[in-house]
Amino acid sequence: MEEPQGRDPVYALAASPHYARDRVCFAARASGLHRSDDGGVTWRALFGGLDLTVPLAAMAVAVSPGFEADRCVFAGVQGGILRSSDGGESWQPSVLPSPPPLVSALAISPGFVQDGVLFAGTLRDGVFRSADRGGHWAAWNFGLLDLSILALAISPDYAQDETLFAGTESGIFRSTNGGRAWRELSFATELAPVVCLGIAPDHARGGWLLAGTEASGLFNSVDDGQSWSRLGEEAIPAAVNGLVLVSDPSGRHEILALGAEDLVLSRDAGRTWSTLKPGLQEGQDVTCALAPEGTAAGAPLLVGLAKGQVIRLAV
Amino acid sequence: MPGDLSRRVRFQPDAHLAMQRGVDQIVNAVQPTLGPVPRTVAVASALEGRPPELLDDGGLIARRIIQLVDPDEDMGAMHLRHLLWRLREQVGDGTATAAVLYKAIYDKGVRYLVSGGDATQLRRHLEVGMQVVLDSLRSMVGQVQGKQPLARVAETICGDPPLAQMLGEILDIIGEHGQLEIRQGRGRDIEREYVEGMYWKSGLHSRQMITDTARLRSELENASILISDLEVKEDRELLPVLEAVAGSGTHALLITCSSISDRALGLLKANAQASKLRCLAAKTPGLRSDEQADAMQELALLTGGRPFLKIAGDTLTRASAADLGQARRVWVDSTHLGVSGGQGDPRRLRQHIAELREAYVRSDDATARKRIQDRLGKLMGGAAVLSIGGVSDVAAEARKASAERTAEALRGAVREGVIPGGGVALLDCRPELRRRLSESDGPDQRAAYRILLGAVEAPIRTLLANAGLDAGRLLSEIEAAGPGHGCDVRTGSVVNMAEAGILDSAAVQLAALRGAVGSAALALTVDVLVHRRRPVRAQAP
Repeated sequence: MEEPQGRDPVYALAASPHYARDRVCFAARASGLHRSDDGGVTWRALFGGLDLTVPLAAMAVAVSPGFEADRCVFAGVQGGILRSSDGGESWQPSVLPSPPPLVSALAISPGFVQDGVLFAGTLRDGVFRSADRGGHWAAWNFGLLDLSILALAISPDYAQDETLFAGTESGIFRSTNGGRAWRELSFATELAPVVCLGIAPDHARGGWLLAGTEASGLFNSVDDGQSWSRLGEEAIPAAVNGLVLVSDPSGRHEILALGAEDLVLSRDAGRTWSTLKPGLQEGQDVTCALAPEGTAAGAPLLVGLAKGQVIRLAV
Repeated sequence: MPGDLSRRVRFQPDAHLAMQRGVDQIVNAVQPTLGPVPRTVAVASALEGRPPELLDDGGLIARRIIQLVDPDEDMGAMHLRHLLWRLREQVGDGTATAAVLYKAIYDKGVRYLVSGGDATQLRRHLEVGMQVVLDSLRSMVGQVQGKQPLARVAETICGDPPLAQMLGEILDIIGEHGQLEIRQGRGRDIEREYVEGMYWKSGLHSRQMITDTARLRSELENASILISDLEVKEDRELLPVLEAVAGSGTHALLITCSSISDRALGLLKANAQASKLRCLAAKTPGLRSDEQADAMQELALLTGGRPFLKIAGDTLTRASAADLGQARRVWVDSTHLGVSGGQGDPRRLRQHIAELREAYVRSDDATARKRIQDRLGKLMGGAAVLSIGGVSDVAAEARKASAERTAEALRGAVREGVIPGGGVALLDCRPELRRRLSESDGPDQRAAYRILLGAVEAPIRTLLANAGLDAGRLLSEIEAAGPGHGCDVRTGSVVNMAEAGILDSAAVQLAALRGAVGSAALALTVDVLVHRRRPVRAQAP
């Protein structure tokens, strides 16, 4: 299928864990979930078999860490979650408790193959959790004082620390018991909404966490969210729409941050920044990005736009 | 009346010695309960034919001792009793530790005063020394989180592993201020459930509004909420509200009010049929007027509505859609009203919670703290319900009391952290006390530090003795093992207490020390006892 044109915002991007081999990636868009098998060059819509009379917007997408074997993909939509166990060719709906929530974020356990745990953030109803690969869902909102979830980030070491974070309309919350209960972090409410979160691959060692806000820039915590400081004030003056956080083999952190119209990159944990703009035109609002092979020079970078395209760049 | 005005006066040294005997009686009744292998105290029931209560709760045991026969001894006993009950109300535990500390300080203090010491100076130096111990204890505080560490702390308090496991899980979820309801269950086991959202005491105004006849309750989704304590007498009073809801596009309305007439209920019913607007009318949340005021304020914050208050002269004449709260789900049954997914401003809600937390920390009144605790608990987004069973009603009741006490102490542990347990933290204050003793320059100051050095050993000595262990030998081994080491009384071996997970709530230990030293030092300044001819029996606490 051709790339949909017109106003079809891209809300989220996700790639197969073996992208380098299979080139599979997914785009959650207003027109539904789309899949590419060639690294984002061409896309095809995946909700065709659902017999929909009107398009069903996909707001979030998550891919199983064991995708190569289990082919599991999840899409967050109005009223629930769609799950596929054949790479998106067919879908089964998982209905969330009534009234139907709007799923805005998905986070999948790094140990999903073993534990089957998946979290869904919603715009008005907080966080839901499933421990049976998306079959059944229950609200897990104890201590979550703000139910407008805009972003979820799960610890890479979740199997041990059971930690995840939620970015909300009024700040950031953390759970250290697998989402059973939440505690507010000392992130100033006047800096919120927090629209994206980045968690370092070595989070368990250093407690490094990034928070992108709707209008107040990028913030950095090196103590698991206890205290926060501004990062890249000049390079990222206001909105941060997305974050990609990777560690190179030497443990050095690289950050790719998406401003409203800019892509900025830091290869030294946020001390210095350079602007990446190849292929972007003036007024192309950036909504999300995906760096499926990291942020090394020349690595592929997929960027979703508010106007409804996924463009391919090189870092 | 002449009989009430007559007095009997007792001077020194009889006053101190008599008070000491009274203190001994309370301490002897309470100290068997110190430690993880406590012995129980049987208290005869006030009701004829009822079995005796078997208690291992020092505060409750002290409370059951209403009066001693000897009025002079009674003065000493009641002074200590008051301390222990207040401590139990404030932090839930630590009463046996406080009793043992009190006795150690009072006994040695009396001995020093009899030898010619100055009571006022001794009190002053004891209070300075208390700060030294408090600072030393604070330097040992570590945070506790996760259900297993919390369960271990719970076990040191209640000595009941299944109960401790359950409370560890619950406190890990609800946190220091979360809502926990402890009920007496019907079976033999302990069960817990978690309830989503917040709920208050309330109930439907009309049974005809029940839609779920199996559970005797009704639910609404995406509901508008009128928050009020008004009396709705006329059906026309509700018209502005119904118009506001119709204009907002929602199809469900919950009205809370103190009373509603049959005519007004009839209007809601007719309206439901005509306009598909589902309506429920519930009693104003909360029982007493102060509870209702709190509940309405918090319901308004949670849902983004405005309370209509009788006391402010509010009416519904100008009610608009902006005055109504919104929630994703509400439910009402015959006794409660629950809300989840309130659509209020989360920033205002968080600000309100921060203010309540601050008020909780500032308050030292147990009743006020309990009320704030309840309010905070309701705002946390859910509640835990723990049902306690037992082999008999008496056993279940005792276990429920133990669960309440342990939960309160665990809240303190979550809030203020933990210190090495088993009396070790107090023991490890000795180096600093010894240093202060060596720098002391007056007899009263030296006496105060010597008294405190002895007192901080008293809890561990009692705990070891209660477990049937050789305190003298074990204290030498503990001293040799170094700071942080103590005795695991279940095995009798010397271990690193923190590594072994033997921890005490810092809030409890700090409060026990503050209470014991402060009260004992004050009691030492008592010089004369004056009695009524017919002493009044203790009523409060």
